[in-house]
Amino acid sequence: MTALVAIKGGKEGLRLHLDESAVWSDVLGALRSQLDQGAQFFNGARVVVDIGNRVLTGDQFAELMALMREHHLEASALASTSRESRSAARAAGVMARPVARSIAAPDEPSEALFVWRTVRSGQIVRHQGHITIVGDVNAGAEVIAGGNVVVWGRLRGTVHAGALGDRLAMICAIELRPTQLRIADLIARAPDGLASGRPEVAYIDGNQIAVESWERYRR
Amino acid sequence: MSRVITITSGKGGVGKTTSTANLGAALAMQGLKVAVVDADIGLRNLDVVMGLENRIVYDLVDVVEGRCRLRQALIKDKHLPDLCLLPAAQTRDKDAVTADDMIALANQLRAEFDYVLIDSPAGIEAGFRNAIAGADEVLIVTTPEVAAVRDADRIIGLVEAFEKGHPRLIINRLKPRMVSRGEMMSIDDVLQILAIDLIGVVPEDEQIVTSTNRGEVAVLDRSSRAGRAFSEIARRLAGEDVPITVFDENPGILNRIFGAFGIRARGSER
Repeated sequence: MTALVAIKGGKEGLRLHLDESAVWSDVLGALRSQLDQGAQFFNGARVVVDIGNRVLTGDQFAELMALMREHHLEASALASTSRESRSAARAAGVMARPVARSIAAPDEPSEALFVWRTVRSGQIVRHQGHITIVGDVNAGAEVIAGGNVVVWGRLRGTVHAGALGDRLAMICAIELRPTQLRIADLIARAPDGLASGRPEVAYIDGNQIAVESWERYRR
Repeated sequence: MSRVITITSGKGGVGKTTSTANLGAALAMQGLKVAVVDADIGLRNLDVVMGLENRIVYDLVDVVEGRCRLRQALIKDKHLPDLCLLPAAQTRDKDAVTADDMIALANQLRAEFDYVLIDSPAGIEAGFRNAIAGADEVLIVTTPEVAAVRDADRIIGLVEAFEKGHPRLIINRLKPRMVSRGEMMSIDDVLQILAIDLIGVVPEDEQIVTSTNRGEVAVLDRSSRAGRAFSEIARRLAGEDVPITVFDENPGILNRIFGAFGIRARGSER
C-alpha cells in the first residue's frame, strides 16, 4: 500500500506526487489532511505537481488548485503524461510538462539537504527531510524542514523543524541565538540575554520547546 | 580593462551617494578616467553632492530614450577634469529604464572610462536591480547599526543570486569612541554577520555634512578624516595593498596630556 500523496525534494525544488490510480476524491482528501498537518511547511511554497498517468478534467484541476491556494501552496508546474491534464493546467495558466513517472526513484523519506553557505536575510531554505547547514543562518532568514535542522554555525534567524508535524524533530546549532524556534506545532521566542557560547539543542519536552547544551542533551 | 562598479546598500541614508562621489573623485585624482552614474531615477542627488546641479541639460533617461548622445549628457566635474557625471532624470521614475538599457549604457561608458561607478537607489526593487544589471562588481555600504546591517545582509543575498561575484563592504560613519564604550557595533561585529570582505572603514565626520551641502567632495579636503578614508578605499579598489586604518578624531588636549604620562587615549587605537 503506497501513500496517496508524497512530497519529495528534487533538482527543481519540491515535488508533490499524487497517486495516479486511486479515486480522485480520496487523493484530494489525503492531500487536504497532509496540507492541514504541515500548514507552516507549505505556506508560500512552490511545488511541481506530478499526477503521473492520471487524466484530469478542467474541473478536477480547478478543484486541486483551489485546495492548494487555500493552503498558500503554489503550483509552479504540472507534470503529467496525459495531454488532457496538461491542457487543463495550461487553460488555468499553470505550466505543464509531459514528464514520465520518475524512473525508479527509491523512496528516501529521510533524505537530507546539505547547504554550504551563509543563509541571509530574506532567504528561505525549505526541504521535506532533514537540513544541514554549514554556515550561519542570519536574522531575517528562514529554514523550514520536515525533519531535523543542524546548523554548523551561528543560528540567528527563524528555524522550523518537523514542519510536517513531527514532534520528535530537533534543532541544533554551534551558537543557538535564533529569532524564533518552531518545532512541529510549537513556537518559542528566543530567550532574552546572551547565548551560552556552547553548542545547544532544541527539542520538544512535554508540551514546550526546551533548549539544552549539547553535552547535557547527549546524556 | 575598464570596470563597472555599483554602490548599493538596501537601507537608505547610509552613504551610498557620498561614497560614490568621493570614490569617483579619489580615483580621478589618481589620474584615472571616471564616470559616476546616478541610477536613482526620480530622486537624483549625486549631482547636488558634487555641486553640478545647475549644469544639467540632458540626463540618463534622455540617453536611453535616444534624445541625446551619451557625450552630451556627461557633465565634467568642476575640479577634476578626469571625472564625469551622468545625472539621473528627476521628472521620471524607475520604470523609465530597463535592466537591458542599463547594461547597454554601462558598456557604452566602458569604452570611454577606466572606472564607471553606479550609485544605486535604496531598496530591493526594480531600481536596485537596474543599478546592478550592468555591474562587474558591487560595493555594499552599511553603517554599524542593526537595521542597516540586516538590510545589507538581504542585499548581499540578492547580489549573489544575480551572480555579481562577491560584493565588498564599506562600513560608514563608524564612531570609534562609541565602539570602545561598547555602545556601537564594532567592525568585527558587522563582519561576523555579513561574512564578506571589507574594503574600508569611514569614520563619522561632521565635515561630510558641510562639504555635501556645499557640493564639494570630502576627498578634495586633506584635513577631512572621511575624505582620507575614501582615498584609501579608492587605492584598494585600484588594486593597491593599503592596510585598513580607522581615522579617529585627533586626540584632544586632555588625551595628549594623558598620553604624555603613558596612558593610552581611549578609542584612538586601531
